Amino acid sequence: MIGMYHYLFLGLALFVIGLLGSVCAKNVIKVLIAIEFLLTGVNINFITFATFCDNANFDGYITGLFYTGLGAVELAIALYIFYLMYQKKKSDNIEKYSEL
Amino acid sequence: MISNPVIFYISAFILIFCAILSVCLKNVIYSLLASVLVFFDAALLFYVLGSEYNAIIQASIYGFAVPVIIGVSIMFTGRDAKKHKAFTLPYITILCGGIFVLAFLYIIMISILAMPDTFNLQELVQVSAFDTLSAFAKGLFVNYVWAFELVSLLLTIVIAGITMFNQKRGGIK
Repeated sequence: MIGMYHYLFLGLALFVIGLLGSVCAKNVIKVLIAIEFLLTGVNINFITFATFCDNANFDGYITGLFYTGLGAVELAIALYIFYLMYQKKKSDNIEKYSEL
Repeated sequence: MISNPVIFYISAFILIFCAILSVCLKNVIYSLLASVLVFFDAALLFYVLGSEYNAIIQASIYGFAVPVIIGVSIMFTGRDAKKHKAFTLPYITILCGGIFVLAFLYIIMISILAMPDTFNLQELVQVSAFDTLSAFAKGLFVNYVWAFELVSLLLTIVIAGITMFNQKRGGIK
């Protein structure tokens, strides 16, 4: 039987992969993708708790909705900043982006 | 909620495997394609968990909109894309990924065997679709109406701000 801990562990695994990817990746776009993994892992945990523990209000579902929208906004802003900096640096290597 | 172990294990394996692949691949296009699989698989997990609305929003935003944005930015910045090989996974990465997947499967199997028979919170969750819809409506438009409006305002500010800022700079060159 699949329980709550299975989903929590899955969300944790995705969170750890996103964390490692955002720290270790050299490409800026891959760092942003890894950050989205991180947010998705947190979202899985929110929805898991809402399903198994919150039987009336589903606050975790609502928080997941906000989290998805804010994650997309964050990605759009980050990509725009990256594009502006790319016009000066001419590279997508994150080591060249040490200054904003 | 759909409590089918086969669906969970297959989707969990695809999720972890594609996430590792997306992080480890050097070609950004392939990394983006693997991440699309991860996002759709997360939407499937949301549906399995009983949250259809979150699944639809996850699939439409992270499955379609976000990859389009990232793909466009790769098109703008992909001058040296031909330098990367298609699959440049080092052996140590494959080995670490394989060990991680095996450890993941082992921990899940151990947790299933160690789980007591009385631990079954799923039986407590007996909610119809109408209850879920009304709970969503109450949550969005009653309990969290200010947060909802603030997020809408933030989205509008972002769209208008980026457009105005870009027009001041003379547009995308």
